[in-house]
Amino acid sequence: MRKEVWFGLSLMAATVILVFVLMPPPSQMTNGHLGLLMLAMIVVGIMLGFPTAFTLMGMGVIFGWLAYRSVDPATAVPRVLDLFVQRTYGVMSNDVLIAIPLFLFMGYVVERAQLIDRLFRSLHLATARIPGALAVATIVTCAIFATATGIVGAVVTLMGLLAFPAMLKAGYNVKVAAGAITAGGCLGILIPPSVMLIVYGAVAGVSVVQLYAGAFLPGIMLATLYIGYIIVLAAWKPQLMPPLPESERRVELPSWARAQARHGSNALTGLFRAARGSTDANLPKRTAFGQLLVALLPALFIAGLLGVTYRMATAPEVEVNTAGLIEAGGLVAAPEQEREGSSTGLAEATEPEEKDAGAKEPAEATSDKSAKQPPGAAPVVEAKPTITVAEEKARLAVPLWLWIVFGVAIVGVAFLYFGWNWERFEVFKMLLSSFFPLALLILAVLGSIVFGLATPSEAAAVGGFGGFVLAGIYRFIGNWRGARGGVAWKTAKELGTIVKESSFLTAKTSAMVCWLFVGSGIFSAAFALLGGQEVIERWVLSMELTPVQFMILAQFIIFLLGWPLEWTEIIIIFMPIFIPLLPHFNIDPLFFGLLVALNLQTAFLSPPVAMAAFYLKGVSPPHVTLNAIFAGMMPFMGIQVIALILLYLFPAIGLWLPSVIYK
Amino acid sequence: MQKLLLFVDKVSTFVGQTFSWLIVTLTLLITWEVFSRYVLDDPHAWAFDVQIMMYGTLFMMAGAYTLAKNSHVRGDVLYGFFPPRVQAGLDLTLYFLFFLPGIIAFVWAGYTYAAESWAINEHSNITSEGPPIYPFKTVIPVAGALILMQGIVEIIRCIICLKQGYWPSREEDVQEVDVDKLKAMVHVKDEDIAKLDKFVVAQDHGGARK
Repeated sequence: MRKEVWFGLSLMAATVILVFVLMPPPSQMTNGHLGLLMLAMIVVGIMLGFPTAFTLMGMGVIFGWLAYRSVDPATAVPRVLDLFVQRTYGVMSNDVLIAIPLFLFMGYVVERAQLIDRLFRSLHLATARIPGALAVATIVTCAIFATATGIVGAVVTLMGLLAFPAMLKAGYNVKVAAGAITAGGCLGILIPPSVMLIVYGAVAGVSVVQLYAGAFLPGIMLATLYIGYIIVLAAWKPQLMPPLPESERRVELPSWARAQARHGSNALTGLFRAARGSTDANLPKRTAFGQLLVALLPALFIAGLLGVTYRMATAPEVEVNTAGLIEAGGLVAAPEQEREGSSTGLAEATEPEEKDAGAKEPAEATSDKSAKQPPGAAPVVEAKPTITVAEEKARLAVPLWLWIVFGVAIVGVAFLYFGWNWERFEVFKMLLSSFFPLALLILAVLGSIVFGLATPSEAAAVGGFGGFVLAGIYRFIGNWRGARGGVAWKTAKELGTIVKESSFLTAKTSAMVCWLFVGSGIFSAAFALLGGQEVIERWVLSMELTPVQFMILAQFIIFLLGWPLEWTEIIIIFMPIFIPLLPHFNIDPLFFGLLVALNLQTAFLSPPVAMAAFYLKGVSPPHVTLNAIFAGMMPFMGIQVIALILLYLFPAIGLWLPSVIYK
Repeated sequence: MQKLLLFVDKVSTFVGQTFSWLIVTLTLLITWEVFSRYVLDDPHAWAFDVQIMMYGTLFMMAGAYTLAKNSHVRGDVLYGFFPPRVQAGLDLTLYFLFFLPGIIAFVWAGYTYAAESWAINEHSNITSEGPPIYPFKTVIPVAGALILMQGIVEIIRCIICLKQGYWPSREEDVQEVDVDKLKAMVHVKDEDIAKLDKFVVAQDHGGARK
C-alpha cells in the first residue's frame, strides 16, 4: 500500500485509540463526553472522504436531537429543526460572508486577464541585476498575482509553465526553482485581500477590516524573507542560481530610443532635448512629449503624494463627535481601545473626509464608540480634547518631519532620474503596463477597506469590476497586436467567456465554503448543547498552562490538523472550539487569527499533502520528481516557521497597523 | 439508467449555473450602489437587503450543482487512494448515515420556516418598509429539495459503481485549475515541457559527478 494511505490510516487509528483511552465506560457517559465523541467522529468522518458539509449536517442533526432528547424527548424533533433552519438562515443573511463570492469572482476574473506572462517578463527584466534574479522575479510575480487572485492551484500551475522553464534554462537548481514557485504561489492565502481571513473573521467575530490591516505587514514580511533568502543563497552559492547571460538581460530598445541613446545615456535629458526639437533624430515631437510625460510619471506621483501628505499634516483641527462614529465590524479585540474611548471620549481626527467616511460605514454596529485618527496625523497632533465646534481654521505650521520627508523624497527622485538610462526607461514602461495596474487594483481595494471608505464586500465588488476592466484592456491589446480585424468583437466574446466561467466557478466555490458553514452551524450548536465546549475548557484550564504554552499548543494542533484537512475545514469546524478559550489566556483573537493564517500557510507547503507540490508536478518535465519539489519547499517552510516565531515574539508586526489606523 | 442520472445532473447544473449569474448582477449592483452613494450622493435603503438576498440565493441554489460536479470539499488524505469499490461503499454508507437524515431535516425545517414567513407576510426589518423576505426564505426548502434529488442520484451512482467496479461518468464542467486551458493561455505546449527535461537530466548527472 502507498505511504500516504498508511499515514492517513495511522492518523485515524490514533484518533480512535485516543477516544477509547479518554472515554469513560458507556454507563458513566455524560452529554459532555458525547460532545467529545462527536469531535473525534468528525475527524474520522472527514478523513473517510465524504463531503464534509453533509457529514457535519448529519452529525449535527443527530447529536442535536440527542442533546434535546436528554432534556425533553417530546419536543426534541421540532427544537432541533428550528435550530437547524435558524443557523442556516444566519449563514444566508451573513453580511461578512457576502464578501466571499465577490472576492472569488474578482480572483477568477483577474486570473483570466492574461497578464501574468507580461508581469513575469517585465519583473524579470527589472530584477535582472540582482543575484537569483529569476527566482526573485518569481516570488514578486507570485505575491502580486496570488494576492489578486487568491487561487493557489492556478498561480502555481501558471508559474510552473512560465517561470520554471525560464529558470531551468538559465541553469537554476531544480529544487530552488521549485521551492520559489510553490512558496510564492501560497502567499496569496495570507496577504489580504484573502478569503481565508474573511472566513476567520466570520467564525471568530473579529472585524475583517482589522484582520486585513493586521495581515498586511506579516504577509509583506514573509515575501521579503523569501526574497532575502534567495538573494543570500544566490550570492553565497552562485552555482545554484547562475547570473543571467547578457542575452537574457538585454532590453530591446525601439529604434528612436537607440538613436537618442547615442546622444547621451540619460533618458530624461535626452527626452527633454528631443521635445525641444534640438536633435534631428527621426522622432516626432508628439511622441517625444508623450514619452517625456511617461518618464515624469514617478516624479508627478511623488509630488502628488507629498501634496496629500502636506494637506493631511497641516489640515486644520476638527473636532470629532464620537457619538456618531461607529466602527465597522466587531471590535472584540480591543480592551485598550475601550479604555481609551471611555477616558477621553473625544479624540481628534485631522481630516474631515476621514470622519465622514467613518460615519457612513453601514451599521455592522457594535456598541463600542471609538474615534479614529488617520495615521499621518498621529505623530503631529496631540490628542487634547477641544470644546470648539468644527469650523475652518488656519492651517497648522509645517512640522519638522514633513520637511525631512520632503527632503528624502526629492533626493530619491533626483537619484532615480540621475541613473535613468534608456534601458531602465524601457523596463519602467513595461512595468507600467503590467505591474502597476495590478498593484494599484490591489492597493485600491485594500486601501478603501482598511481606511474605512468601503466595506469589504463593496471593495470586493468594485475590485471585481476593476478586474473585469483590466481583463478587457489586456485582452483587447493582445488581440489588437495579433489579429487584423474584428478586434472589438473578438474581445467581447472572450470577455463573455471569462465572465461565464468565472461566475460558474464562483458559484461552485462559494457553495462549497458556505455549505460548510451551514453544516458547521448545526454541528457547533449541537456541540455546545452537549456541553462539549465546557468539557474541553475545563480540561484545558486544568492543565494550568501559561498563555505561551497554550499558544504553542494551539498552533501545534492547528499545524497537525493542516495535514489531513483543508484550511476551510480547520477554520470553520475547529476555530469555534479554540476561540472561546482565548479570553482565559488573555489572547487577542485578532492576533491569534494572524498566527493561524500564517500557520495554515505552512500547511500548504508541508509534505506529504502539500497541494502546491502536486500542481507544480503536473506541469513540470518528467524528470522533476515529487521528492525534489518537496526538498525545494523545505527551506521555505523553515522560513515560514521563522516568520511565525517572529510574529509571535514581536506581535507589533501584525498589531501595529490596526492600532495606528483604528485608534 | 445512466440517462436518468445525467438528466438530473443537467437539471441541477442548469439551476446552479442560472443562479450563478447572480454574482455578476451582485457585482454590478454594488459597484453602482457605491458610485451612486459617493458620486451621486443618492444611497438606496433597499440595497443592503437585496445584496444579502442575492448572495444567499446564489450559494444555496448552487449547492446541488456543486454536488453534481463532485466539488464539495472532502478530506482527500485517504479517499483518493482507495479503489473505486471501497470509495463507493464508504460513500453509500455515509449517504445513508449522515446525508439523508441531515438533508431531510433540512427540507422539512426549511419548509415550515418558509411557510410561517409566507403566512405572516414577513418583510425585512433591517430598514423600515424593507422588501418582502418570504421568497428568500423559500430558497431554503427549494435548495434542500434539489440537493436531496441530486443526493439520491449520487446514491444510485454508488450502487452502480459497487456493481461494475468503476465510477459512472459525469458531464464535464469548467474547472478551477484546468491545466490545458492555462497552457493555452501562456502559449506553452507539451513538447516545450518535454524539451526541458534535458536540463533536469544534465543537472542530475552534474550532481552525480561531484
